[in-house]
Amino acid sequence: MIAALALKSLRNRRGTAALTVIAIALAVSLLIGVERIREQSRESFASTIAGTDLIVGARSSPVHLLLASVFRIGDATSNVGWTSYRTLAGRPEVEWTIPLSLGDSHRGFRVVGTTSDYFEHMHFAGERKLNFASGHRFERAHDAVLGHEVAMALGYGIGQSVVIAHGSGDVAFTLHEDQPFRVVGVLERTGTPVDRAIHVPLEGMDAVHADIRGMPPDPLAAAVQAARASRDARDGSAPRASGHDGLVQDDSARTITAFLVGLKSRRDALSLQRLINQFPGEPLTAILPGVTLLEVWGIVGIAERALLAVSILVVVVGLAGMLVALLTSLSERRREMAVLRSVGARPMQIFALILGEAMLLTTLGIAVGVAMVYCGLVVGRPWLESQFGLFMDIRGPSPYEWGLAASTAVAGALIGMIPAYRVYRYSLADGMVIRV
Amino acid sequence: MIAAAESSAFAPPVLKPADGAHGKPISAASDNVVELSAVRFSWPRSETSPVIDIPSLQIARGERFFLRGASGSGKSTLLNLLAGVITPQQGTIRILGHDLKMLGAAGRDRFRADHVGYIFQMFNLIAYLSVIENVTLPCYFSALRQARATRRGGSVAAEALRLLHALDMGSDDLLARPVTKLSVGQQQRVAVARALIGSPELIIADEPTSALDEDRRTVFLDLLFRQCSRERTALVFASHDGSLARRFDRVIGLSGVGDA
Repeated sequence: MIAALALKSLRNRRGTAALTVIAIALAVSLLIGVERIREQSRESFASTIAGTDLIVGARSSPVHLLLASVFRIGDATSNVGWTSYRTLAGRPEVEWTIPLSLGDSHRGFRVVGTTSDYFEHMHFAGERKLNFASGHRFERAHDAVLGHEVAMALGYGIGQSVVIAHGSGDVAFTLHEDQPFRVVGVLERTGTPVDRAIHVPLEGMDAVHADIRGMPPDPLAAAVQAARASRDARDGSAPRASGHDGLVQDDSARTITAFLVGLKSRRDALSLQRLINQFPGEPLTAILPGVTLLEVWGIVGIAERALLAVSILVVVVGLAGMLVALLTSLSERRREMAVLRSVGARPMQIFALILGEAMLLTTLGIAVGVAMVYCGLVVGRPWLESQFGLFMDIRGPSPYEWGLAASTAVAGALIGMIPAYRVYRYSLADGMVIRV
Repeated sequence: MIAAAESSAFAPPVLKPADGAHGKPISAASDNVVELSAVRFSWPRSETSPVIDIPSLQIARGERFFLRGASGSGKSTLLNLLAGVITPQQGTIRILGHDLKMLGAAGRDRFRADHVGYIFQMFNLIAYLSVIENVTLPCYFSALRQARATRRGGSVAAEALRLLHALDMGSDDLLARPVTKLSVGQQQRVAVARALIGSPELIIADEPTSALDEDRRTVFLDLLFRQCSRERTALVFASHDGSLARRFDRVIGLSGVGDA
């Protein structure tokens, strides 16, 4: 009966009730949404480094190396010589390596120079391998393989010609217009930065950069090239791309940004890491990606906690709105309480009525809020992917999210006790005197 | 049990045959619905003379009892005492032979739900309930009244309709209206139907006519009296308006210190 009364009472004040529910719903959707994004970005990061035992780059901070090499956030400051790479890749503990050469882009998407080992050994989400949605691996110097999202966003298919530019971002410094790449394959979606990359053979990269060096001096391009060029032993005598037909292995003057290492046995990871860090040929840094990722979370964690705190505050504000709405309604509802007392309602039942209304509002707010998160996911998923590279799975609430929802419900009930207790006191004090 | 034993110690019950229509064991115990003895009540903070000081007062079944007094004379206090919302510092109040003090707070609430119908001066109705829902409200708090109403009308809703018809409030148009769209007089009649449903033995009316004009007041009293005498319900009617007094069986005036 009390529940039915609470429902009818809320329906009668549906305007205020709806506003309260919306306020709580927005707060809850923020809370759950932030948690969702946090959880999924962590997962997508962890999934990206799945199966990689070591990442090696020029001497730099581990976090920087991890972000630049795998997540394509920021740029590496210096490169690794090809000879060093070959030496380390040939060590007996090493099962496979994937060289990565970064620094070029095409319409805002990063270009990754690599070898076909990339398609062989790159894993994501545990043990899953890269699959081709269409086409095949690159075979010639000027073949390109697109990540799923690149193909979607730019509408490219097999046979499309791609001109890469030096530098990253939409406005690149130098266009290698005379050496277009041809798309020969498109990968399936992985939910990792692979989807946002254009993969070309290292030979192709060598060719376009050799071409740059052959061009008349351009002060701007020269400045940009300085770091790379200084490490580059070769002068303008490199063979032109037209001379390359197939993939030619090895080029001792080549440099790469970093390389990923898979070991035969995980147990060798620490000793090989130490060995690489003391590599006599050039200063290198080797990182255990899982460990470094934890370091990243340590840094990002502060911001995450701040976000969580803000979302919790927003929930508190939403509930405070409910408290205000309930409290302001009380004075006009004192006579309603007197009437209920007169027909035999006990003060506890009147307490339960108000508490029930608060709990109904909170529960509705949580339900609407969660529904909003899911609607938002369905609608906003493509946008989140294209703008932030965030891949959101649509899945049921996690135990933690259930916990957040339950805590909100409990907080709503606790806050509801304030007006409920107030009415309880009123109904004891007023008895059945109608105060107007 | 205790309450019943005390009841017989102070005032030996007049044994009458059980009321055939309603068959309530309580009504068989005594013909007095209300019995007050040496009741004194003062509000906690006021140290002056008690608001209520009634040596003795009995109200019988079916009696129409008029309680006259200006505002501040303790009328509302007495009505709250009778309804069991508050208890006197001294003396005993028995309703249907039950000492209200012995019932405890929760017991008094249950007792009120079962045996007392209450009509306020105004704002009797709950805005978010329909006319019928307002009338049937007591049946949700009292199984006894629900059972009586069901026995009487077939169902709680049917009994509510029967009462509303008897009070000239049964037209479909009126029933369909939100209660806030009813006139004050109509609202008061709905309140009477609510007080009557499930045949409580005592109806307490606190200035129920003060918001009505002369003509409506007469009609309202006619309807109220007719229903009360049909049910043999005792009516305690409080008003500052002495002109109504002549229509009642008995009148007492409250002027700070009551007399019976």
